[in-house]
Amino acid sequence: MLYRVIDGSELPLLVEAFLERYEVIAPVQTKKGYAFAPVDSFDQVALDYPSTVSSLKKYYLPQRETLFRFDAETNEVLDLEVEVRPRVLFGAHACDINAINCLNSVFEDARYPDPYYEAHRRSMLVVGISCTPTSECFCQLMDADEARSGYDLFLQDIGGRYLVSMNSVEAANILETACNPRVATDEDRRAFRQATRRRQESFNPAIPDIQEIPMLMDAFHSDAFWDELGERCLSCTACSAVCPTCHCFDIRDVLDPDGRIGERERVWDACTSPQFATVTGGHNFRPTGRERVRHRMYHKLNGFLATHDRNLCVGCGRCVRACKANISPIEVLRFFEKKGAEDAE
Amino acid sequence: MPNSARVVVTPLREGGPAATGSELVRANPYRPWPARITSITELTAHEKLFEFRLVDDRIREAFHHEPGQFVELSIFGVGEAPISISSSPTKSGFIELCVRRAGEFTTRLHELQCGDTVGIRGPYGRPFPIDEMRGHDVLLVAGGLGIAPLRSLINNIHDERSEFGKVTIIYGSRTPKDVMFRDQFEMWRHRKDFDLYLTVDEPDDSWDGEVGLVTKPFEHLEIVPDHTYGAVCGPPVMYKFVVQEMRNKGISYDHIYMSFERHMKCGMGKCGHCQIGHQYCCIDGPVFNYWEAKNIQGSM
Ligand SMILES: Cc1cc2nc3c(=O)[nH]c(=O)nc-3n(C[C@H](O)[C@H](O)[C@H](O)COP(=O)(O)OP(=O)(O)OC[C@H]3O[C@@H](n4cnc5c(N)ncnc54)[C@H](O)[C@@H]3O)c2cc1C
Ligand code: SF4
Ligand code: SF4
Ligand code: FES
Repeated sequence: MLYRVIDGSELPLLVEAFLERYEVIAPVQTKKGYAFAPVDSFDQVALDYPSTVSSLKKYYLPQRETLFRFDAETNEVLDLEVEVRPRVLFGAHACDINAINCLNSVFEDARYPDPYYEAHRRSMLVVGISCTPTSECFCQLMDADEARSGYDLFLQDIGGRYLVSMNSVEAANILETACNPRVATDEDRRAFRQATRRRQESFNPAIPDIQEIPMLMDAFHSDAFWDELGERCLSCTACSAVCPTCHCFDIRDVLDPDGRIGERERVWDACTSPQFATVTGGHNFRPTGRERVRHRMYHKLNGFLATHDRNLCVGCGRCVRACKANISPIEVLRFFEKKGAEDAE
Repeated sequence: MPNSARVVVTPLREGGPAATGSELVRANPYRPWPARITSITELTAHEKLFEFRLVDDRIREAFHHEPGQFVELSIFGVGEAPISISSSPTKSGFIELCVRRAGEFTTRLHELQCGDTVGIRGPYGRPFPIDEMRGHDVLLVAGGLGIAPLRSLINNIHDERSEFGKVTIIYGSRTPKDVMFRDQFEMWRHRKDFDLYLTVDEPDDSWDGEVGLVTKPFEHLEIVPDHTYGAVCGPPVMYKFVVQEMRNKGISYDHIYMSFERHMKCGMGKCGHCQIGHQYCCIDGPVFNYWEAKNIQGSM
């Protein structure tokens, strides 16, 4: 990895340079908190945002996306060409970059690479930025607190200046043209280590660090804990909507008013939605909140790990804030902590 | 230069080179290819057997399946449905699907006529391990519509009969009227190279087969456990009981294969609908062996 240092006062230049050629998506302050949105100047960017309500996944997997158009009378697929605009995602936190890495392993799977997802991703530059954990953040417990790949530039705040990891030639060229990057000194590296340590120490100690989560997920699969969570679940699917790694979708046909030409589109769906696993004849493989909430947590904390070697929860804390029923991976970790304490008695 | 990107959904270029299945998938895996209905057979009051021919020569030639795989069938404006391929790979050039009229999509399909076109993409999924089964005895158990995928395997075995040992088929239906492919099976009842047990829950006067659940014929089955593969497909409630019978006969966990049904949309391990525990029924299955199924939370 190549490291350079730029001064804090140079950041606006970098963003302006991106704006010349790309649509720039960055965190901005809204009435409801913070959100990723297109910006047209550096002044709109909320650099030290804590977290956003919804994640970046909509730029890879839009909430609604046309797959192709068809003629329902002749039953034929009509040509479709989608141009994806070149974009910069500016100011992504490490957890969100890791979330995109999870999505990559699903949508860029060698057997069935998803051309729509790939088009979005190929047209995107990702510029990460360091963060300060909120009280709901637990990315460090999910091994997602550090972005080791999946970005073009990563900006680490080291006090008035940024240590920049450069991961792509395209972004490095822009950085070098717009700013005056200099080689990192010993002092910069010391400042980096201090910043990292400060961050490590500021995670919420009340969120339990549990070892062997997959084994515990299996061991307590039938525990009454899931009944409790399931009864509380309102099936509102807010958790999946805000989650940066939830990627389930439905595919449906929508006809134009003329009833002849239409679109096949995919739209976000969620495993916490009651009919998600129902088959013909009405058999529902996950009929109650118990099975649905458990399945979501199982996939996040165990299932994905088994098939993709990483957690599908990056500990971003969004669902912790979004769920009105207080259901989240943190509740699962607390349950395991309680069980552990009982066992030790 | 900023790197913009495009997704293209186009038909194959006229006169272009022959395409392989994986090239087609790479071009756009969500794109169904036109297929024409070439024959329709009424099997029961609720089920029809459709024969389809992919219209484009190159796509038809690129299409290869194995028993147990399925396709996503499209009627544009209505949607898609996952349907098992019911024909044997030993017969190429056409695809047979046996479809029960169950809801909106399947009702619309049942209204179509010979010559109408639909869309087909696939084949998808992990098939039955037919190559592993060669040289062994095979015990096939189907309940109701479960005969649709198993028919592909049965007909494949039939066409390469000498490569398999003893073949036993147990096929259970609710009533005699619900028995599909009855003519074929009636004929086979007198053959020596297939042991066939047809059972129904509710017999009528014409019925001279067995009465009871599909597990009933196990009472008098003789099986060489080390030498036998099981293949099971039916309604969700059936698996536990049939698999237990096979275990009682001594068939090894990893020689008992089941085809599962789940809600499916993409068929490619993306949309999440078909998940069983940590597995995707569409790409890791729909065929799983019992050992794998035991290790998947919520599989049975
Ligand atoms: C691997 C596999 C193989 C299958 N093979 C056959 C077969 O050979 N013959 C046959 O008749 N049926 C088969 N089915 C079931 C068939 O897919 C459903 O009966 C069909 O999707 C019902 O659609 P519908 O609109 O008529 O029913 P409705 O109940 O009106 O619609 C159900 C809705 O759920 C969706 N859906 C997706 N997957 C399923 C599912 N598995 N069951 C129910 N709904 C689903 C449908 O697209 C639709 O949107 C198979 C299913 C799977 C998963
Ligand atoms: S499950 Fe919750 S905490 Fe984990 S990544 Fe999704 S939204 Fe964030
Ligand atoms: S877990 Fe919470 S956010 Fe998710 S569906 Fe249930 S109530 Fe809604
Ligand atoms: S059907 Fe979409 S993941 Fe299996």
